[in-house]
Formats: sequence, C-alpha cells, structure tokens
Amino acid sequence: MLRRAETRFLLLGLPGVAFTVLFLLMPIVSVLIFSFWRTESYEIYADWNLDNYRAVLTNPTYLTFLGRSAYTALIVTLLCLLYAWPVAYFVAKYGGRYRLLLVLGLAAPFFTGAVLRLAALQAIMGPIGFINMVVTWFGLEPIGFIMYTKFATGIGLAYLYLPFMVTAIYLSLLNFNFQLLNVAKVNGARPWRAFWAVTWPLNWIGTVIGVVLVFIPCMAESLTPRFLGGPDGALFGTVLGQQFGETGTWAQGSAMGVLLFVVCFAVIVGMALTINPRRAGFTGAGR
Amino acid sequence: MRNRLTPITLGTMLVALYLFLFAPVIYLVYASFARDTVWPFPWHFTVAGYVDLAGARAYQQALWNSVVLASAAAFLAMALSAMGSIAVLKYRHRWRGAFAIIIVSPMFVAELLIGISTLIFNRKVLGLPGNMGSAIVANAVHGMAFGFLIMLAQLVRYDWRLDDAAQVFGAGPYRTFWYVTLPNIWPAMLGAFVLSFLLAFNNLEISFYNLGAIPTLPSLAWGSLRYGLKPELFALAALVNGVVFAAFAVIYALMRTGLVRFGYRGI
Repeated sequence: MLRRAETRFLLLGLPGVAFTVLFLLMPIVSVLIFSFWRTESYEIYADWNLDNYRAVLTNPTYLTFLGRSAYTALIVTLLCLLYAWPVAYFVAKYGGRYRLLLVLGLAAPFFTGAVLRLAALQAIMGPIGFINMVVTWFGLEPIGFIMYTKFATGIGLAYLYLPFMVTAIYLSLLNFNFQLLNVAKVNGARPWRAFWAVTWPLNWIGTVIGVVLVFIPCMAESLTPRFLGGPDGALFGTVLGQQFGETGTWAQGSAMGVLLFVVCFAVIVGMALTINPRRAGFTGAGR
Repeated sequence: MRNRLTPITLGTMLVALYLFLFAPVIYLVYASFARDTVWPFPWHFTVAGYVDLAGARAYQQALWNSVVLASAAAFLAMALSAMGSIAVLKYRHRWRGAFAIIIVSPMFVAELLIGISTLIFNRKVLGLPGNMGSAIVANAVHGMAFGFLIMLAQLVRYDWRLDDAAQVFGAGPYRTFWYVTLPNIWPAMLGAFVLSFLLAFNNLEISFYNLGAIPTLPSLAWGSLRYGLKPELFALAALVNGVVFAAFAVIYALMRTGLVRFGYRGI
C-alpha cells in the first residue's frame, strides 16, 4: 500500500519537476556558462574568462542602471503593498459569492498586451494627454512630472504589477479564518490591534509571495521605461535586452542576466527568511 | 458606525483600482472608433480601423498565433500544475517540500531572464531556430508555477478522505478522479488555465526571444511601435476586450442564477 502511494506521488509530481529542470534550470545553467565566454562579431566563443563580469561591475553606467532598477522596484513594491492589502482584504471579506469575479476583474486588463496598455497610459498621462487636456480646461498649468520621468515609470510599473500583489494576498486571505478576529475582539483587542496581532502575521506568507512577485518583474523591467521613463529613465532590463538585440553581445548579456538573477535570488531568500512557519500559521499543505 | 465605514473605505479603494486599471483599456476602445488614434480629441467616429482589420491578414495571423500559443501553454501548465499540486497535497512523501519548491520556482524568475535563457539554450545549445514549440514550452513553465500556486491555495481545504471513501466503495483510481476529485477541483483547474492563458496570450518578453519571425499580437504591437501604432491594432484590442467582457457577463449571469458557484461554499 505504501509503495503504491509512493509510485503515485512520483507519477504525479515528477512531470512538473522534470519540466522545470529541462526547460528552466538547463537554460539558466547555460546562461551561467555563457557568461564566462566571449562574443565577437555576433559569434560566441568558448574561452573562459571573467571579462564580462569585470565590465559590468566596474562600469559605473551599468551599476547606475542596476541601482536605479533596485530603487524603483523597492519603491513600487512598497506602494503596491500599501494599496493591495486593503483591496484584497475587502474582496476576501466582503466579496461574498462574487469574490472570484472581483479578482478576475483585476486580471481582465491583462487581455490587452502591455505594449498597448502602456501606449494608452502614455496617451492619458502625456504632456498633451488626456489628464493635461482636462487640467488646461480649468485654466491651470499642465502637469509635467507625470510623464517621461521616473515617477511616470513608477506609475506604469504599479499599473502592471499591482494585480499580482492583490491576488497573492487575496489567495492567502481566502484560507484565513476571519472568526479568529472575533476571538481577538472578545478578548478585548481593538480592530487595529487584532489586525497586527492576528491577520497580518497569519497572512505573512501570502504577503511575501506578493512582494516577491512585484519586486522581481520591476527589477527586470525593460518595457515600461521606454514608454514612460523619458531620456534618462532606462533601467537595467532595458540595457540587458539590448545585449541580445541591437549589440548582439550575448556573453556580456549573460553576465548581466546572472547578476540580475543573483540580486533577485538574494531578495527571495531574504524575504523567505522572514517567514516563521509557526508564527505564520502555516499548517502545512496537508492534513 | 465604524463597522459601516471600513467596508465603504475599502470598497472605494477597490473601485479606484478598477478605474486605474481599466482607464487605458477604455481609452483603447474609445480610440479604436476615432479617426485619429494618436490624438482622438475631439472624437470623430469611424469604424475604419475595424474595416481595415477585416482585410488585414497579418493581424489575423498574429491573433491566431497568440491563441494557439496561449491555449497550448495554458493546457500544459494546467495539467502539470494540477498533477503537481495533487502529488504534494495528497501524499505525505519526504520529497513533497522539494517538489513544491521546484515546481513553483519559475514564478520567481523574471520573464526577461526566462526569455533570454531559453533563447541561448535553444539557439546555441540545441541549435534550434525560433519556433512555436519552444515558445509554448517556455510559457508553459512560467504558467505552471502560477497555476500551481492557485491550485495549492484552493486545494488546501480539499478533504482527500473523499478519495479514500470512494476507493473503499470500490472505485479505481481513474473513476475516483473522474467522479470525486475532478468535480471538486475543477474551479481551481479553471483558474490555473485562465491565469496561464492570460500570461501567455500577451507575453512579450518570453515569446519575443523564442518565436523568431513568427508574429503574435504583442510582438506585432512591439514591432509597429517604430512607425506608430496602427488603428487596426486598436480595433483588434477592442474586439478582444469585447469578448472578455462578454465572458465576464456570462460568468456573472451564471453565478447570479446560482448555476455555477466556482467553489464558493458560503450562503
């Protein structure tokens, strides 16, 4: 009986594991290898060296882009966290039977590609866009800072990734027993105290997943700054993408990819370390 | 009083978020009916974009490619994530933690990184040109991780003793799955499918590096940026949104009449 259970576990679980190893781990390992190679006129040669890393880590331009990406991602993640919690809480607690529909509604804009939505955002917020048209109707000066600035990039990133944060927190709250709050209340806790002592820690895993899901795409973003960032708004992802397109320096791009991966991985590990399984109320994915 | 105020404040935040998220979409639909899509104020109504779209083979081909890519990737992602989540939740195997971490890990790799690493792997290691299969697989890996998370979140509450009960009454593993497990977990599987479809349908960064010259909707939009977005593209986006809106209306109607509950077990 036990052997049969083991066979079934492997039959069901191994395909997903094998799929990940074959089509994600192997490519990432090949990026790691290529980052130590050399590209010359669009061809890649296998002579092992550290020049790609030296170039990235000593060139202040690349480091500026990396720092700017990290800073932008941090700010956007914090903003998303602040806004996503109340929204997710509302949907989970008061959504009733339409909860799923309300969450799907947040995902619906994703049916339109990011390129088109960012272009539309540009048309709404731009110097001669919809917002400024309305502003000038009232005889006011057009607002400059909402377009072609880092602020605009931040808005665009929050626009693209806020739904991920809401969904992650919502999924966590879905399995949260709201009656625990009544227990806290009976024991004399005021609403905010009950939130900090019960709701927040018990949904910390969902929050961590949301934070990581917003931080990582922001960190690697290449598209948004092209539309909204203005002339000096380029981010690390933009430059990384160029290595595989315009300049064709794949080895250099691989090194930048590895660097990006390391930064993201450090953030994931750092966030994961804040999870205290006993405090997070994680009963395990089982009985 | 306080109990009233909280839901009203939070609800307002939700409505504001909807407005923010849908404003560009509404703008796109509005501009698709305008004579000048770049600066559609004041509005001159026209359906020229839609007429041009009907005759534009390139856009239809791109839409078809996107649908094929997204359906295949979403189906793969749904199947793999459903199997993985059942394995991890139902069987108390010593590797279940490791399996769960491996299957969920693609979610935490940036799309850009998935794109460039699969490009390097396919092109330089396997020697493959840009092709649909690679793009489907790369998108499916990404979607599988998201589907897995959705399935886990929904299935944590599933009582696997139901399956044991069915087997006690003599049902084999397939009958058990078909008559007991599936009717209970299909909303979660649908969620995994819809999410992976969405992610793949409009994915630019993974698909762009894997597809080579095969056009999809996002890559077409990306490619046409240099010459300005064409009215046909606005019309196509508006049509896609029309279909999505209709689907939502149907879901709402079904839930309203109580025909479908999507796993909601409350009153």
